Amino acid sequence: MRDKKKGLRFLIYFSPLVLFAVSLYLGTYRIPLPDLAKTLLSPLVPAWKAGLPEGYASIVFGVRLPRIILALAVGSALSVSGAALQALFKNPLVNEYILGLSSGAGFGASLSLVFLGPAFPPQISAFLFAVVAVLLVLSISAKSESPIVSLLLTGVIVSAFFTALLSLVEFFASPYSLQALFNWLMGNLARPGWSDLAVSLPFVLGGVAVLVLLRWRLNVLSLSDEEARSLGVDLRKEKFLVIALATLITAAATAVAGIIGWIGLIVPHLVRMMAGADNRRVVPLSAALGASFLLLADDIARSLASFEVPVGIFTSIIGIPLFILLLRKSSQAWS
Amino acid sequence: MSIRVQGLVFSRRNFTLRIPALVFEEARLTAIVGPNGAGKTTLLRCLGGLLPVPRNTLFLGDRDLAAIPAGERARRMAFVPQEQASAFNYAVREFILMGRTPYVSLFSLPSPADAARAEEALAFVGLAGHGDRPCQQMSSGERRLVLIARALAQDTDILVLDEPTTFLDPKHESDVLDLARRLVDDRGKTVLVTLHNLDMAVRYADALVCLKNGTVAAHGRPAEILTEDLLLAMYEIPMRILRHEGRTFIVR
Amino acid sequence: MIERRFLQAAAGWLLLLFLVPASSVAAPQKTRTVIDNLGRSITVPARIERVLSLQPEITRIIVALGAADRLAGIDHFLRTNDPLFKIIAPGQDRLPLVSMADYNVNMEMVLRLAPEAIFGAPEDRTVVEALQSKTGIPTIALSSQGRFDRLIAEIGLLGSVLDRSERAAELIAFFQAGIEAVQTRIREAAPEPKPRVYLAFWGSPTRTPVHYEPVDAAGAVNVAENLLPSFLGTLIANVNLETIIAWNPDSILVHGNYPIHQRAVTTSQFLSDRRLRAVRAVRDRRVYYTFGFWNWWDPAEVLLETAYLARLFHPGLFPGFDLESRGNAIFKKFYGVERAFSILSATIGCGAWLDAR
Repeated sequence: MRDKKKGLRFLIYFSPLVLFAVSLYLGTYRIPLPDLAKTLLSPLVPAWKAGLPEGYASIVFGVRLPRIILALAVGSALSVSGAALQALFKNPLVNEYILGLSSGAGFGASLSLVFLGPAFPPQISAFLFAVVAVLLVLSISAKSESPIVSLLLTGVIVSAFFTALLSLVEFFASPYSLQALFNWLMGNLARPGWSDLAVSLPFVLGGVAVLVLLRWRLNVLSLSDEEARSLGVDLRKEKFLVIALATLITAAATAVAGIIGWIGLIVPHLVRMMAGADNRRVVPLSAALGASFLLLADDIARSLASFEVPVGIFTSIIGIPLFILLLRKSSQAWS
Repeated sequence: MSIRVQGLVFSRRNFTLRIPALVFEEARLTAIVGPNGAGKTTLLRCLGGLLPVPRNTLFLGDRDLAAIPAGERARRMAFVPQEQASAFNYAVREFILMGRTPYVSLFSLPSPADAARAEEALAFVGLAGHGDRPCQQMSSGERRLVLIARALAQDTDILVLDEPTTFLDPKHESDVLDLARRLVDDRGKTVLVTLHNLDMAVRYADALVCLKNGTVAAHGRPAEILTEDLLLAMYEIPMRILRHEGRTFIVR
Repeated sequence: MIERRFLQAAAGWLLLLFLVPASSVAAPQKTRTVIDNLGRSITVPARIERVLSLQPEITRIIVALGAADRLAGIDHFLRTNDPLFKIIAPGQDRLPLVSMADYNVNMEMVLRLAPEAIFGAPEDRTVVEALQSKTGIPTIALSSQGRFDRLIAEIGLLGSVLDRSERAAELIAFFQAGIEAVQTRIREAAPEPKPRVYLAFWGSPTRTPVHYEPVDAAGAVNVAENLLPSFLGTLIANVNLETIIAWNPDSILVHGNYPIHQRAVTTSQFLSDRRLRAVRAVRDRRVYYTFGFWNWWDPAEVLLETAYLARLFHPGLFPGFDLESRGNAIFKKFYGVERAFSILSATIGCGAWLDAR
C-alpha cells in the first residue's frame, strides 16, 4: 500500500513532463515526430533549421510552446491557490475564487475593453480589480465578530456585486467591445503571446514558489484560530500573507488566461484523497497535478475539433465526474 | 516555572473574573474547580494567553505575559483545548508535529530533530505505533492524548489543559490524569487543569483552586482546604467528604 | 309558429347576404400573407403605412426603398453603432429607441408606437414570437442570412408590402447588374486556381465565417468554407492559429466595418505577428480590410464589397476601379445621399483600403 501510494505520487510529479512532450506533438498542423525533434533542437543546431519548413518553427515556438507553458503555470497556480485557501479557511470546499476574485477580474476586464478600447490589454485592469475585490472583502469582514464565516459570506456578496456591475457594463457596451469581452471571459490559453507571458509568469511562478515554501505552515493555519495562536502564530500577519500570495497568483493567472473554473477546488481534493491531508505533500502535488490537469484539458480543447472550445468547459467535464467518482470511493480524506 | 496572578480583572458581557493574587507553583499539578459559570475556562484562557490581559497582571516566572511576543510565549506555555475538530484528516504523527511550530521558522520545514521530539511525545502518551493513523479514526480518549502529545512536543515548562477529562470514560479519565501526573513528576512541568470531577481533583492534584462567581473561594492543598462548608458555598448543595482506605471521596 | 321560424330563416339568410358581399365588396387584396424565414405564415395589411423594424438589414432596405418616413422607431444597433446608417438616414435621431440589445425590446413602447407590422431577426425566435403574441401586431422574421438570392427576395418582398415595388425592382436590377458585371469579367478571364482567402471577422483573429458569398462572387475561395460553425444557427467558427497556418491562405481579410478606435484586430497585427511569418498572405503582405457584416447586410455595402474584392483578388481584370468614386455612386443610387462613402471613410477608413502599403 505504501509503495502504491509512493508510486502514485511519483507519477503525479512526473506527469507534467510527460504531458509537456505529448502536447508539443498535438495540434491541427501535422508535424512528424522526427521533424518535431529537429525543430526543437534547431536553436542549438542551426543547420537543421534550414532543412525544415518555415512554418514548423513558428508553430512549435510561437504557437504551441507558449500555450503549453501557460497551461502548466496557470494550472499549478490555481491549484496551489485553492489548496492554500482551503487550509486557511479550514474548509475543503473553498475554491480559489472565493474572495470575489473572478468577478472582480471580469469586471476589470470589461471596464478596460469597453472604455479603453479593445486595443489596450485588459490584463492590467483585470488584475487591479481582482485585487480590489479581495481588499474589499478583507476590509468589510475585518470588522465582524466571526472572521472565517464572514470572510466567506463577504466573498460571496462582493462576487455578486461585481458580477452585477459586469452585467451592467455588458448591457451598455457596444457590440464591438462585447465581442472582445466574451472572448476574454471564456478563458483562452491561445491568445497570450510570449510578451504577455513574460509579464505574468514571474508573478505566478514566484507566488507559487513562496506558497510551496509555506506548505508546512499551512497545516498549522488550518487548525482553529485559538490553537494556532497558542502555538505562537501571528495570525493576522500570516493569514494576510497567504491571502496576498493566493490573490497574487490567481489574479495574475486569471488576468492573462481568463476565468477557468474548478481547478482550485478539484485538484487539491484529488491530491488529498490520494496522498493525505499533510500540506507538505498536498501543496507541491497540487502544483504538479494542477499543471497536468489544465494542460490535458487544453490539449483536448484544441485537438478535438477544427474549432476551439473554451478550456473551462473541459476542466468541468473532466474534473467533476472524476471528483464525484473519487468522492464515493474515498475513506476520510476530509471530515 | 511558576505562574503568578496579580490583580487580574477580566470582564465580558455579564461576567467578571476578579483575582487579586494567586500563584500556581512550578512543577506542580494544579486543578481549577468550581461550578459551571464560575470562570474556570475564562481563567484558563487568560492564563493560556488566548484572552487579552492587561499588563502586569499575569507573570510567567518573572516575565509579564502581556509583554512576551507570541512565539516566545508558545515556547514557554502550551495550551490544550478541550475538543478539537479539524476539517482535514491529518495523521497523528503530522498532528503532533504541529506542536513544533514555535521552533520552525515561517518558510521552513520541521527538521529531523523536530520529528524526533514529536515521536518522543507520541511515545510518552502511550500511542507509539499509532503515528500513521488518521486523527479522525481515533476515539475521544485517544484524541485527548494526541492533543496532550502535541502540547508536549511544544517543549514548554508550562502546560495548561482545558477540561481534559470531560466526556471520557473512567479508564480514559485515569489515563489522562496519570499522564498529567507523569508530566509533573517525570518531567518537572507545571501543569494546570480544569476539572469537574472533584474526586479526581483531590486524588491527583497537588494544589486546588476553587472558583466561584469569578473569584477564588479557596486555594491550597486539597487536604487542607477542602471542607464541607466550602463545598456547600461553591456548589450550593450539601456534600459529604468521606475518607476510606486512605482515599478521599466526595459524595452528595 | 311557422311564421316565427320563417322569419328566423329569413333573418339568417339576410345576414348571410350582408356578410358575403361585405368580404367581396372590400378592396382587392386588403391583406397579404407572407411566409417568413422561420416558416411562419403572417397576414399583413396590403399597404403598410407604419412599420417598425428591429432587424437592421430590413431597416436599411426600407430606407433604400424611400420609405424611411414610415419607420416608427429604431433599434439600438442602428442608433448607436452602425457608422453608415447615421449617414444615409440622418433623420433617424428623431426616431424613438425601441430596443437596447437585440433581445431587449420594450414591448410597451412598441404598443404605443402602434406599427402595422414589425420586422425581426430570425435568429431570435423567442423574441419574434413574444412580440407577436404580446402586441398582436404581425411580426415577420426576415434575414438574408448571407445569401444574395435571399437579399434580393427580401428587397422584392419589402417593395411589395410597402407598395414601393417599382423602386424595389430598380434596386434589384442595379444590384444584379453590378454582381453580374463582376462575374462576367471573372468568368471570362479568371486564372485558376482561385485565390484562397482567410477572413478574420468580429474582433478576433481566429473567428471566421464558414460561408461568405461576396468572396465566392469575387472569384476566390474562403478557406473556412464548410467548417462546422461553432455557434448554432450562425456562420461563426472559432479556429486557432495553427489551423490558419495550415491553411496557408493567399490573402487575409480583416473585418473593417468597425470605428477605427474600436478595432480589436488590425491588418498590422497580422503583418507583424511573427508566428504567421510562414503564411503566404503575411509574407506577400496581402492583408486587407473589408466590410464584413454586423447584424447582417447593407445591400449597398454588399454590392460595393463584391466589386472591391474582385479588384483585390484580380487586379489585372479591373484596372480602372476607383473604390471611392464607385462607393459614392453605389450609395447614392441606394440612398440618395451624396459622397456617403467618403463620409463613411472618416469613421472606418475605407477610402484607404486599396492604397499601396
